[in-house]
Amino acid sequence: MTAPKLPLEESGGRAPLLEVDGLVMRYDTEAGEVSAVENVSFALARGEAMGLVGESGCGKTSVALSLLRLAPENARYQSGSVRWEGVNLLDLSDQQMREYRWAEISMVFQGAMNAWNPVYRVGAQIREAMDQHFDPPLGSSETEQRIDQLFQLVGLDPAVQRRYPHELSGGMRQRAVIAMALSCDPKLIIADEPTTALDVIVQAQILEELKEIQQDLGLSILYISHDMAVIAQVTDTIGVMYAGKMVEFGSTQEVFHRPSHPYSFLLLSSIPSVTGPRRRPMSLEGTPPNLLAPPSGCRFHPRCPWATEQCRQEEPPMMPIGPSQWAACWNAEQVPQMGEPAP
Amino acid sequence: MLRYVIRRLIQMVFLFLAFLTVTWFLLYILPGDAVALKYAGNPNIPPEAREVALQRLGLDKPVLIQFRDYMVNFFQGDLGVSFNQYPRPVTEIIGERLPRTLVLFLAALVTYYWAGFLAGKYLAWRRGSRGEMLITVSGVGLYSLFLPFFALMMIWLFSVQLDLLPISKFLDPEKWRDAPFMANEVFMRLFWVTLTAAIAMFAASFAALRTNNRRLERTLRWGGIALAALWFLFYWFGTPSGQDMRVYAGDIGYHMVLPVLVLTLINFGGVMLLTRSSMLETLREDYILTARAKGLPEGVVRDRHAARTALLPVVTSLVLAVATVIDGGVITEAVFSWPGMGEILISSVISEDIPLAVGAFSFIGIMALIGHFVVDVLYGVLDPRIRVTEHG
Repeated sequence: MTAPKLPLEESGGRAPLLEVDGLVMRYDTEAGEVSAVENVSFALARGEAMGLVGESGCGKTSVALSLLRLAPENARYQSGSVRWEGVNLLDLSDQQMREYRWAEISMVFQGAMNAWNPVYRVGAQIREAMDQHFDPPLGSSETEQRIDQLFQLVGLDPAVQRRYPHELSGGMRQRAVIAMALSCDPKLIIADEPTTALDVIVQAQILEELKEIQQDLGLSILYISHDMAVIAQVTDTIGVMYAGKMVEFGSTQEVFHRPSHPYSFLLLSSIPSVTGPRRRPMSLEGTPPNLLAPPSGCRFHPRCPWATEQCRQEEPPMMPIGPSQWAACWNAEQVPQMGEPAP
Repeated sequence: MLRYVIRRLIQMVFLFLAFLTVTWFLLYILPGDAVALKYAGNPNIPPEAREVALQRLGLDKPVLIQFRDYMVNFFQGDLGVSFNQYPRPVTEIIGERLPRTLVLFLAALVTYYWAGFLAGKYLAWRRGSRGEMLITVSGVGLYSLFLPFFALMMIWLFSVQLDLLPISKFLDPEKWRDAPFMANEVFMRLFWVTLTAAIAMFAASFAALRTNNRRLERTLRWGGIALAALWFLFYWFGTPSGQDMRVYAGDIGYHMVLPVLVLTLINFGGVMLLTRSSMLETLREDYILTARAKGLPEGVVRDRHAARTALLPVVTSLVLAVATVIDGGVITEAVFSWPGMGEILISSVISEDIPLAVGAFSFIGIMALIGHFVVDVLYGVLDPRIRVTEHG
């Protein structure tokens, strides 16, 4: 099956910065081949914020790491491409790839607690990235100045750069991680669960700041989260992943307004709405499938309350639902109206 | 930090006092006494002569008086005279033996820690490769060998069969017959020259760890090695005293090759496995992924991020090893007929030569305390998380 080609004009005519096309990635394990990323396609324009959501183990982090080619050593790319401004990153040599890392695409890692090496000062770890990528290299006073500015930008006292990671609070560490991610002027930041370990108030502050920074600097951000509510606040487009596959993709507004895959529908219905009509949250039963032996047909069918015989047999392709929305479900048209299935 | 150092130093004094007391009493309560042992083979000695001997050694006094006298003298720098090599002062005997042991075992310690750390780093980095398999198996195999057996086999191979290295002892008497120096002068000189060279190298690589400029870091690291090597060469070839001693120092060095080799082969496996597991742990950390994501070359990720943090437990194990620099060599010294501290430890305890035994043990205690202290300070320097703050 060829990868569904998504028309990209909807993103306001902006040139695509990143195009992931039919990416298939598997992990070789002792138990067999794990199908971690299966035919995933999406595109991200300059200045756009996209979200990838799904349960843990659905492949969203594997996709993110693939963009930097940082997936673990047992990852095998079977087919597909990751195009960065037209260049397929999967074809580059290691040396060439290193030049893209951080300078073009940087990353805010899951759990900023551990993203810092405990034995070096925060400023030194930022300087390290800048020393690697600025060409011609910045002088030490320029570097210093730039780090000061970055710290101010993320709302930190520049003096913090002379501290060690363990001397900072969780929120400060996360802000410093963002400053580090910005240090080499990347075009895209991948934010993998950027706020998961933080308390709700700091979480909201940081998301707000990230959004401001993104708009001010014209950055693209790829948010990775299991939390639909977080994604909804900050993204333009959203991709919902399930068991290694992209099951729905579209503008955030449309997906939230009219989820067209039962999985996104159930994920969204589990978020209670304060202002909207009262409805009973529906639960998502079961656990994600074992990717060593993924289910036949639609990978979601064992957990889908509305699954039909066709779902069990045939794999649904990505099908257009609206002007900028696609879903991989045989019954996509009916999903938005679905109520609880008959018992 | 200064306050911490002072507090630690005061602690060390008390610890040492306790150590000395326990050691003294443990040796004292051994059944029999030095005189009895000495005359055990000759039952015809009149009791009066025994009394005189006991009186002369001070063994007739009550135990607490003996202990008090010993402690008072000890802290005036007088460790007494050896019963067995009467009337040679203990300080003189230890002064003769200590440098030989220090030079040999420090050389071995540095070599096997260095080899073990490098090998462990490689193993963790190349996990699953055929090279890893080979090094792990040989490292663990050697580590589990029985030292005397292995040492004798090595002597058989290198000294008897291949005739490459000397069989035993630390010098060749033929060469030294007309030597204008005492062997110990040469030992001390060897010790100091090597120590200063090592300190220069260590200081440079330490400075390299602290800098962020990668070019400066490389300059410092290689510059430190070059400086140490230059100083070493300059001393032995460039200075008059070094030139005079060179042949004899070389002879000692030649005799050290085999024991150092044996100790390294047997011991590096332990350091290697420790480094490997510690490094595998750090390699799983998120900051390694961060370092890679920053586009740093693999060598930098390995050395500056993974190995640097993995160093901490290895440094801890070094503490325990420092004390073995004196005592752990008992067997090795016996096998290689290396007349160092190990030999006097055994003989003095067997012959109940209490002053010599306590003196020798006190040096082990001092080495262990200094080792712990140095490593504690070093640990704080290496790991900012446990660095002591003024209010901590």
